[in-house]
Amino acid sequence: MKLGVCLALAVAAVASLTSFRTFFDPGKHRAQAPSFDRAEALPAAPRPALRIGRPEPLGSGRYLTRWSVVRTSTPARAGPRPDAPIVTTLATLTPDDTRNALTVLDARTDTSGSLWIRVGLPILPNGSTGWVRRSTLGAYQTTDERLVIDRPRLLATLYRNGRRIFQAPVGIGTDSWPTPSGEFLVRSELTRYASPFYGPVAFGTSARSAVLTDWPGGGFVGIHGTSEPGLIPGRISHGCVRLRNRDILRLASLMPVGTPLTIE
Amino acid sequence: MHEATSREIDELLHAVDRDGAILETRTLAEAPVSRARLLGLALAGTGTALLAHVGPANAAPPLAASDIAILNYALVLEYLQSSFYTEAERSGALTGKTAEAARVVGAVERAHVTAFLKLLGSNAVKRPLFDFQGTTEQQKPFLKTAVAFEDLAVAAYKGQAPKLKSKPVLAAAVGIHSVEARHAAWMRELFGITPAVNAFDQPASREKIERVVASTHFIVARPRTTRKRKPKYTG
Repeated sequence: MKLGVCLALAVAAVASLTSFRTFFDPGKHRAQAPSFDRAEALPAAPRPALRIGRPEPLGSGRYLTRWSVVRTSTPARAGPRPDAPIVTTLATLTPDDTRNALTVLDARTDTSGSLWIRVGLPILPNGSTGWVRRSTLGAYQTTDERLVIDRPRLLATLYRNGRRIFQAPVGIGTDSWPTPSGEFLVRSELTRYASPFYGPVAFGTSARSAVLTDWPGGGFVGIHGTSEPGLIPGRISHGCVRLRNRDILRLASLMPVGTPLTIE
Repeated sequence: MHEATSREIDELLHAVDRDGAILETRTLAEAPVSRARLLGLALAGTGTALLAHVGPANAAPPLAASDIAILNYALVLEYLQSSFYTEAERSGALTGKTAEAARVVGAVERAHVTAFLKLLGSNAVKRPLFDFQGTTEQQKPFLKTAVAFEDLAVAAYKGQAPKLKSKPVLAAAVGIHSVEARHAAWMRELFGITPAVNAFDQPASREKIERVVASTHFIVARPRTTRKRKPKYTG
C-alpha cells in the first residue's frame, strides 16, 4: 500500500514536471498553440471595387431656391393655420396644362403639429403669398439659376450660382401694358407650336399683367421668341418679355423650369 | 425604449417609391439574369444599359451584368438616403444632436453616391425625384424616417451581398454595409430605441422588401412642366 502511494506520487511528479517544462518552453508552446502565423497562408483580401472618397459636406446653398407643384387642389390661406382666411384656391394645373409650380418660401408647424408651407401665389396683386399644407404639395426641387429682367436697360440676364451665364436684349411691355415688376417663377415651357409670333420656345411665368386681366389664359406674362426681331430691344409688347429667336433658344438650353424670375 | 418591429419599420416607410423605381431595380437585381433578358429590360427603358461585357468606368475587369444590376439597386437606395439628408439639412428645421447627425450622415451618403456613379459610369441609373412629404422638416418625423431608411439599407446590403459575383465589389459592399449599420444605430439611439439587441440580423427577404416598397411613395414621377402647345400669354 505504502509502495503504491509512493509510486503514484512519483508518476504525478514526473507528469507535473513535464507539463511545467512544456509550459515554459517558448518554442514548444508556439508549436502547439493556435498561431496567427498561419494567417500568412491566407490569400490577400481583394481590393474593394469602390473607392469611397471623403464625406461631402453641403455647400452654402446661397443661390439655391426651392419650388414644388400643387399635388391636390387646395386653398392658400393668409396664415399657417386651418382657420386663417383663404387668399385663393390653387389648382393642380396651369392654363398651359402643365403642373402648377410654386416658389417655396417658408415653413411653419401649427399647434396641432401640421406642417404649413408659405408659397408664392400666381395671382394679382403680383407678389402675393399664401400658406398651404405640406401634404398638398409635391416633391421639393431646387435650382441654382436666377433670371433677371432689367426693364430700364432692356436686358435679360441668367445667373447660375451667382455667376452670369447668359445675357441678351429684350422687348418688354409698353407704358400702356407694362411688364410687372417683382419676384416670380418660371413655371412652364412650351415648344413645337405653330405660331411665329411667339417664336420657337415660350416660358410661362407666375407674373400677371395688372392691365390685361381678361386676356385668355388669365393674362400671364410669358418669356418667348418673336417674329419681329427688329423691334428688340424696345418697349413693344403687351407685357411679355420677348427675345430674338436665337437668344430664346440659347436661354432654353440653360434655364430649367423652376428658375426664380426677378423683374426689376 | 422599445424595439422597432418589422411592422413599425414598414409603417415608417409608408411612402417610398410611388412609381416603382426601387421595385424595378430590386426586381432586376434579384431576377435570374440572362443577357437577353437584360437587353430586353434595357430596351424597355429601364435606364440601365446592362450589357454583360460592359465594364465600369474605372476598373479593368468588367463587372457581371447581375453585379451591375445589384449596384444600381444599391445606388437607388443611396440616392434616397443622400437626398433625404440633404433636404433635411437644407430645411434648417432640425436641431441639436439630430441636426449634427443629419449633417454627418448626409455627407457620407453623398460620398457613397459619388463612388457608385464613378464605378458604374454610363451604366448608372439616374437620380429619381423624391417627395419626402415634410419628413425632412420636422424633428420627430425625420428621425422615424431616418431609422427606417438606415434599417432598410442595412437589410438590403445584407440581402444582396451573397449574390455578388465580384469579390472586389463584395469587399466594397461589406465596407458600406458596416457604415450603414453604424448610421442605423446612431439614428435609433437619437430616436430613443435600442440600437442593437439582436445577436443575428436576418437579411430582408425579397417578399418583405417588395411589400415595403409596394406600400411606399417617396419616389415620384417628375411633374410635367413642358408642353407642345400654343401659348396664351399676353404677347
